[in-house]
Amino acid sequence: MAYRPNPPQGWIKTNLKYYKHGGSWAWILHRLTGLGLTAYIYLHIYALTSLTQGEKAFDEEMKLFSTPFFKFLEWALFSLVLFHAFNGVRIILVDWANGARYHKKVLAVVYVLAVVLFVGMGYLIFREPITNLFASIR
Amino acid sequence: MYVYRSSRGSGAPSWVLQRITGILLFVVVIAHYFIMHSDPASGHTYAAVLARMHNPFWKMFDLTFITVGLWHGLNGTWGIFRDYDMKPWLSLTIYGIIILSGIAFWVLGINTILSF
Repeated sequence: MAYRPNPPQGWIKTNLKYYKHGGSWAWILHRLTGLGLTAYIYLHIYALTSLTQGEKAFDEEMKLFSTPFFKFLEWALFSLVLFHAFNGVRIILVDWANGARYHKKVLAVVYVLAVVLFVGMGYLIFREPITNLFASIR
Repeated sequence: MYVYRSSRGSGAPSWVLQRITGILLFVVVIAHYFIMHSDPASGHTYAAVLARMHNPFWKMFDLTFITVGLWHGLNGTWGIFRDYDMKPWLSLTIYGIIILSGIAFWVLGINTILSF
């Protein structure tokens, strides 16, 4: 019988059946965040083409992107960046630095660092409303 | 010693490059986020972009950033599809979409930067 690397049909079902440990979820998340970020680069490049249409078009667009809704999306996107970046380092450690022996500990560090920087970025992006909120309480 | 024999490339060069560009992007994307996306009020006016684009460093930086970022993203996307057993026509179609859209958006981005 010919060698089949994957079942021709139903690979989603097959993949879902596997028992998943932390590393499997990291693998799935790495792929999903990677696809999401690639789609976002396309969007980013397309959005900035307004620079070729002069000052008015660009500043108009940036006004839209400064609204709270877009600020929130910008913040949410950073979670994909952080996970993909830190888990990417983990993958490189596994490949090049004997990381298979300690990749679970690294995964914990990945999640902690990602959450800390995500919260930090949230503060930076929303520092104005946050400062205003605390000023109004005081 | 392991000897690779196949009509298809082993993918080793793109595997190494994926890691090298990944290390680059680790630094650059996080820095980009803190510089450009942590405060929407700064550096986002047309005048600010114009000033930055007259600095050869930032111009080269952005040209490299677009190229490396797109390559890493699309090489990764193709890497995901490569994992699955596809009929040749489907594989070729997906590869074609990745290459053609990649070139189109690369030209679009480069054109924006070089318009200054």
